[in-house]
Amino acid sequence: MKYTAKPLPKVELPELRQVGKPLRRVDALGKTTGTTVYSGDFTMPNMLHAKVFRSREPSARIKRLDVSRARALPGVVCVLTAADLPDARLVTDMPGQTGQKRRAGSDAPVLASDVVRFAGEPIALIAAETLAVAEQALDLVEIEYEPLPGVFDPLAALQPGAPVVHEPDNVVARWKIRKGDVKAGFAVADVVVENTFRVPFIDHAYIEPESGVAWMDGQDVINIRVCTQVVEHFRSIARAVGVPHNKIHIQGTLLGGGFGGKEDITVEIFLALLAKHTRRPVRLEYTREESILAHSKRHPFIITHRTGVKRNGRITAAEIKMVSDSGAYLYLSPYVLLYATIAASGPYRVDHLKVDSVSAATNNPFTSAFRGFGAAQAAVAYEQQMDEIAKVLGLDPLEVRCVNYLKTGDRNATGQEIKSAVWLEEAATRALEALGEKTPAPSDAVKIGQGFASYLQSYGRITWFHDTSRAWVGLELDGSVVIRCGVPDLGAGQINSLCQIAAEVLGVGLDDVTIYSTDSALTPLAGTTTATRQLYMSGNAVFHAAGAVRESLLERASKHFEEPPDGLDLAEGRVFVKDDPEQSLPLSELAAMCAAGGLPLANLYLFKAPFTSPLDPEGLQGDVFPDFTFGAHAVEVAVDTETGEITLLKSVGCHDVGRAINPAAVVGQIQGGSAQGLGYALMEEVIVEEGIIRTPSLAEYLIPTAMDLPVTQAIILESGSGVGPFGAKGIGEPSLTPAAPAVANAVADALGVRIPDLPLTPDKVLAALDRAAGREAVGAAACETDDDGSEA
Amino acid sequence: MLPEFNLLTPQTLAEALDMLAESAPDAVPLAGGTNLIVDLRDRRQCPAVLVNVAELAELRGIRQENGHVVMGGGTTIAEMLNDPLIAQHAPVLQDAARIFANPLVRHRATVAGNLVYGSPAANTPPPLLVLDAEVELASQAGVRRVPLDDFLVGVRETACRPAELLTAVRWPTPAQHSAAAFRKVGLRKSDAIAVLNVAVRVTQRADGVCEQTRIALGSVAPRVIRARAAEESLLGQPLTETAIAEAARLAAEATRCISDIRGSADYRRRVTEVLVRRLLTQVAGEVK
Amino acid sequence: MQPKVVTLNVNGRQHYVALMPNVTLLHALRDLGYTDVKSGCEKGDCGACAVLLNGAPVNSCLVLAWQADGAEIVTNVGLGTMDRPHVIQEAFADAGAAQCGYCTPGMVISAKALLDRCPHPTEAEIREAIAGNLCRCTGYGQIIEAVQLAAERMSEGSGE
Repeated sequence: MKYTAKPLPKVELPELRQVGKPLRRVDALGKTTGTTVYSGDFTMPNMLHAKVFRSREPSARIKRLDVSRARALPGVVCVLTAADLPDARLVTDMPGQTGQKRRAGSDAPVLASDVVRFAGEPIALIAAETLAVAEQALDLVEIEYEPLPGVFDPLAALQPGAPVVHEPDNVVARWKIRKGDVKAGFAVADVVVENTFRVPFIDHAYIEPESGVAWMDGQDVINIRVCTQVVEHFRSIARAVGVPHNKIHIQGTLLGGGFGGKEDITVEIFLALLAKHTRRPVRLEYTREESILAHSKRHPFIITHRTGVKRNGRITAAEIKMVSDSGAYLYLSPYVLLYATIAASGPYRVDHLKVDSVSAATNNPFTSAFRGFGAAQAAVAYEQQMDEIAKVLGLDPLEVRCVNYLKTGDRNATGQEIKSAVWLEEAATRALEALGEKTPAPSDAVKIGQGFASYLQSYGRITWFHDTSRAWVGLELDGSVVIRCGVPDLGAGQINSLCQIAAEVLGVGLDDVTIYSTDSALTPLAGTTTATRQLYMSGNAVFHAAGAVRESLLERASKHFEEPPDGLDLAEGRVFVKDDPEQSLPLSELAAMCAAGGLPLANLYLFKAPFTSPLDPEGLQGDVFPDFTFGAHAVEVAVDTETGEITLLKSVGCHDVGRAINPAAVVGQIQGGSAQGLGYALMEEVIVEEGIIRTPSLAEYLIPTAMDLPVTQAIILESGSGVGPFGAKGIGEPSLTPAAPAVANAVADALGVRIPDLPLTPDKVLAALDRAAGREAVGAAACETDDDGSEA
Repeated sequence: MLPEFNLLTPQTLAEALDMLAESAPDAVPLAGGTNLIVDLRDRRQCPAVLVNVAELAELRGIRQENGHVVMGGGTTIAEMLNDPLIAQHAPVLQDAARIFANPLVRHRATVAGNLVYGSPAANTPPPLLVLDAEVELASQAGVRRVPLDDFLVGVRETACRPAELLTAVRWPTPAQHSAAAFRKVGLRKSDAIAVLNVAVRVTQRADGVCEQTRIALGSVAPRVIRARAAEESLLGQPLTETAIAEAARLAAEATRCISDIRGSADYRRRVTEVLVRRLLTQVAGEVK
Repeated sequence: MQPKVVTLNVNGRQHYVALMPNVTLLHALRDLGYTDVKSGCEKGDCGACAVLLNGAPVNSCLVLAWQADGAEIVTNVGLGTMDRPHVIQEAFADAGAAQCGYCTPGMVISAKALLDRCPHPTEAEIREAIAGNLCRCTGYGQIIEAVQLAAERMSEGSGE
């Protein structure tokens, strides 16, 4: 099937000087020369080294805990258990601190006291003079467990009689969408298609493990230098440690990757407690194995789609059930479930929709935010369902989608009107066109498949959180520009985008802008780097703050040149008269004039997202997000039908990003986000058996290497219709969302049969081919196990 | 942090052997460390003494001698990958070296280390087995040679005695009319522990009749094994499609797979048949 | 277990440091202040700790510091500085190859080792050379471009 790109609507985007250029990022050279200091690179004089003693049991009562031998080890300075702390709970309120009322129960304690609910749960903290002593002290902690019945499957957890992780039952969240009349919708369907899809636990696997240093200063402030996606956690940390909010100071570093795994509190409270108790600086760094054990995972989901369609592919009704595994503690499970619920039906017009979703507690590792935040899991299901519908109807997969795609002005699953451009067909056709004709198979055993996925992904947070961001922009007397903004940079270019925006508005080069960021006390709070919100929120804050400075400058300049302000412009570090550019002044002179006249050279701007009210959870009808990003990803795979091995041959990501502030950074996001999606499809799984992780390090938990991925061709579309600065949308999470279902669809195309569970391992490929051929797999009885039961 | 140990650095092989003998059985040799240091960190091994042989010149070098290729035990995988003698006489070893872990590990990992560790998933044993390799084990008591097939015993178990050092691997220079191949299946294309791996070597007469076959299978049993019934089935026959298919079937029957996080037993056995068939077909075409 | 004074020649500078035998080169280097050498897994799975040891790219987490006694060690900061970046470091910056940047020092080391022996690598050769350096941010595309850019610039004689 040959596809041609659908022509784009004509869009006039203003030509800009800095924005829209693939400039070298402000943080780039520091990183490539090894100059940039990460949170694990700091030491302080007189510093102690910390270790965390963790549960080996997934579900148990702590019968006896004795840390006296650990405390007595020479070189150990402090050992803390739950008994030493005030009622210290790790508040798992939605980060961003909008004053949202906390969901009761199931918050994780800072340290377990009587019961442990997952293997890896923290029980004691140790601070010692050296890391070696701290490690030895771990071995001296005496503990006796009384194992309790555990539950390790979310479906089992929902059955009556299942062990209860948190009273009264294991239902930690539920959402429902009721739109239209599904009964009537199914009644007029020509065909009903039903399928169930599953996705596993995934680890963020950032190359930088969690780490930090904390110390108390002469004002009794607990300073914490740490890699975090949320500096606003200082409030929760203060509460857990038992100090006022203004005594916790988060100095956030440039992260070595976050992806949602550093969105919850990781090492901060441990560091603060130990610093407070010892009155000395304390350093804590997780090993890789500890990182995998200790931090959140992506929620596994079981998603069932039942879709009624007409012969032409038009969806008449959809009924979707979703179950997610919340693991041992709540964290962000209700919100991940909400995003999944809202995205459940995909970027399609579904007038009659019923979604029921539930998140169940288990004694598995706890789950929380991961790039895509539920909407990525939903896409794995809805895009495979669309291909299955196409197959049943004998229609082209793109055709089935085009009949159903949302358009601007349509309403989504919650009845929210989509106001921005919806370039779904434009993106899908471009991605498929770029994929080209199928590569000829190199041998009979190898089958080539192509597949794609469309998606919608929100950017900006849930609007009933009343999200805000603040930025301060100022012009120095020498014409250089300063930004102060609390934004954490995960590596995706968050701080650089703000610099490029300020440079554009103030008419300076990117080199003239310096940003001071990520400090809970010293920089205006900008909210979390999550939910693909920073460009939208802090980008707008910087845009407006810089705009206010610009206005002030032009007003003063207008007096000087005796020209109206709109007859002037700022560029190349100067102000000039548009009609007579010879009339100009360097910004430094203009700044001096403003300073002399007491005129503002700086502005602090508070940007607000739309503020709405929470929706009724029994129907979820109303506005939820500021806006959505749309796009598509297409891949070509070669599947060896005798070994089951899958090779990615081609990969194309096409997304309408509204406006690319820095196109090179957008390419990086498309290539990097999709790489995580490709890994999700093919090789990533945190294997958990009876609550124990069987993939404890990067040797067992496999992420793609440079040999596993073709270069993803990134096609950037710019509708200019986003609510971010210059019409930008968001790309951080959207880049990942369609990649895994695209692979699943390509593999199904190659094999003629679908594997409904990720990851698509060689084992599963052969099993699927067997099913298709009606053969039964050779029984396990035919194969001996080793006498000593040892592993290969 | 690694556990505590004493690290001795001998200047000669003789010194190394003395050190190993003095501290036996609590001393182990350390070369590339790519297995040992990981084991130390995870407390899977806690020897009191490590004898650092990484720089011993006597353990390096690849040469031809008396119709054999002799490779020092301290040869790194990277050296093996780039060596012209290996390229000429045992390119199958380079097939294995090319997908051994990753380039950074290859610059440290040694052949001796890979063999002595005794993992059934190791990459160097299958090609060395099909080359009829033997290992040279030196100790204070002297030097002994053991066929590799006898050296490999079980999971993490070899015939290496305490205070012994694997100083060299040697194999008869393969005949002109023989060809060998190696293939590994992993869950990703680099740096992946083998789900299974296979090496084959065949020597054919001018009329195409098979004079000698070797088939070695990894990760399908507690140690890397030879598929002897499969090998014998090909002797004295031309390598026809039917003969190859039968050999492949017999090879799969020789496996004693287990299921683990990397793959099911059923998968390993089935794909053994596929790989053996493909590799035999490949080498049959290569032998002139 | 007793310490011994070891000579670590790092980026052309001699360090005499008393170290226990069970200290890896990774930790010895970081304790000496070479924090550009990153710890990602401590078992050779990620490549973030890569350094050149007598010219060969290795995982410093799998080398004992005593084993590097007297050896020539090169870390990323030894190749260039912000004032005078190495061609490879500049190319990585220009190509957008550093997102979070945590894998970057190890990547640059592997790239240096590759370009030293193979000044005009193909894409396949680049992929093979960095196969031991995991990146979670970029999907490797801009990293490959960076190495190609560096190769181009080096052959144009941009110098170090």
